Amino acid sequence: MLLSLISVPLTHLQSMLLFALIISLAFGTLGRRRPADRLTYAAWSFFLFILVGVTIGWLMYPFSR
Amino acid sequence: MQEPIAEQPQLESLAVPPRKDERRELLALLIGVAGWAVPGLGHALQKMWGRGLAVFLAVGALVTLGAGMRGNLFTSRGDDAFATLGYFADLGSGCFYAVARAFETAGPDVSHSTGDYGTRFLATAGVLNLLAALHAYEAARGRKA
Repeated sequence: MLLSLISVPLTHLQSMLLFALIISLAFGTLGRRRPADRLTYAAWSFFLFILVGVTIGWLMYPFSR
Repeated sequence: MQEPIAEQPQLESLAVPPRKDERRELLALLIGVAGWAVPGLGHALQKMWGRGLAVFLAVGALVTLGAGMRGNLFTSRGDDAFATLGYFADLGSGCFYAVARAFETAGPDVSHSTGDYGTRFLATAGVLNLLAALHAYEAARGRKA
């Protein structure tokens, strides 16, 4: 009942950014000990998520039509 | 005559550690199961507060967003192998799976891409929680974490 009231209309890009952000923060926190290392790892992970996502998107573009 | 006396302390010293290891292994297993059942609890029990909170928030956010996007929350009555795999992935969220099931009344809507993304969010929440539970288990075993 509660979750059915929560509507999350996200675009493709917003979904990807949100997904990458949440997972990167979790990876950073789990994978490193020091706060500075965690931040660096999370930022690097986030960047790679976006890079790979956009790259795969462009690779699939010719087949989308 | 001297050899048996010399061997006695060695045997005693060898007999004690395995019992400790067994207890530690059991405790680590319980921590791993706790970490799966309640996201972040495995780390919290080891006083890794930051990691526990991060896992709880990350898994909670992914489940909330996934359900809000009307993703497919798989059940045990899957029609094919993918549905069964999806069920196991979703089940990885522990108690959040039960909460999402209890509150989900509108059902999934994967006719739109948003619903499809929601399905991935829910599956990722489960897999992330399993990863975190494994991390907590390894940390409890004394591995570097």
